[in-house]
This record gives sequence, C-alpha cells and structure tokens, in this order.
Amino acid sequence: MDELRPEIAALFRAKEARRLRLAKLPFPEKVRIVVELQKMVAPLLRQRGRTVRVWDFDAR
Amino acid sequence: MQATLRVLRNLENEGVLQRFAIGGAIAATFYCEPLATFDLDVFVILPVTESGLISLAGLYAALRQRGYEEEGDCVVIEGIPVQFLPAYNALVEEALREAREQPFGEVSTRVLRAEHLLAIALQTGRPKDRERVRMLLEQAEIERPLLMEIVRRHGLEARWTAWTS
Repeated sequence: MDELRPEIAALFRAKEARRLRLAKLPFPEKVRIVVELQKMVAPLLRQRGRTVRVWDFDAR
Repeated sequence: MQATLRVLRNLENEGVLQRFAIGGAIAATFYCEPLATFDLDVFVILPVTESGLISLAGLYAALRQRGYEEEGDCVVIEGIPVQFLPAYNALVEEALREAREQPFGEVSTRVLRAEHLLAIALQTGRPKDRERVRMLLEQAEIERPLLMEIVRRHGLEARWTAWTS
C-alpha cells in the first residue's frame, strides 16, 4: 500500500486531534454545535423532500 | 433544550413516566464529538397498564394535554422532536436503571452510560451503529471491565469480536 506523504499524514493527525478536542467540550456546547450542524444540513434534506426541524436550543 | 428536558423531568415526577434517559446520537454526543441528528431519542420505562401491555398512549395523551403535538414518530416538545423508545429488552432496562444524572444548564437530566450505549449499538447492529461503536471506543472514556461484563451478560460477544478485531 502507498504510504501517506508526511504533510498529508500531519493533516489527518490534526483532524483527529480536533475531533478529540470537540469530544471534550461541555455537553451544552456540543448540543449547540449539533444545532449549527442541523442548520447546515436542513436545506439539503428539505430539497430531497425530507421534513426536518432545526431545534430551538434556547427554549428555557 | 432546557425547556424540553424540564418537561421530561416533570413527566417523571408526575408518574407519567417511571424513568427516562437520553440515548441515541445525543447521548453519543455527550461522550464524543457532536453528531448531526434531528431527533432527541429518549428511552423510557412506562407505568404498566391494566392490560400489562407497554403502550405510549398515556404518555402521548399527557403531552397532548400540555399542547405538544406528534410529528411523525416524534412529539415536538418545546421546539425539539423527541422520539420516545419504551425499554424493549433486558439490556435497555439495565441501561435505563444505571443511567447517570447530568446537569444541562439549570436542569438535571439523565444520559445512558457510554458502556450501555456501546452495547445497545452492538445489539442493534446497523451500519451506523458500527460507526457509533468505533467512535465511542476512540473518543469516550470507557470502563473496559464493565463493558466486557455487559457484552458477556447480554450475549453480544460474537458481534463484539466481529466488529472490533
């Protein structure tokens, strides 16, 4: 199998480190990120005919 | 989100539910990087009905009385679609019993332990569950002896071996 070029391997390592950093965020902060992901994905899903609802994170 | 979790807690305090805990992608997000999802999966133990059957009817009626409407498989509670999943086997019942209390802003909620979440993913066995197992093993702090005990007790050794070796 071809070996990864060192600069590409470094990029993958950085992505993995970012995932681990995200995993350590406080739970409410992570749910807020989930809602941001919903905002990005919802228009694409609606175009495909799926009914989706972006959460009201701030309802108290 | 706090408002949704407060409604769940009130339902439990009023006996509409015996116990609830967050599962699914949001429970996985508690332990791992955030995952895109549109449903809040909530596992519940319901009071036993006179017929002895498990039914979500009483829960849905209580939610309707509070003004929360069904939308597909979910009930939209304070702007969040909640999918209620009655405890359907011994593993899920155990996971619910041993779920941990966690603060979320000003409210307290309950989240399945990572070890049970992983075992439920093993048992469910879909491709996305396999990805969840991989992610939990990589990112969550798992108590291995406890996980292996759960895997053994619920007869999941074969899939554990197939998915992790």
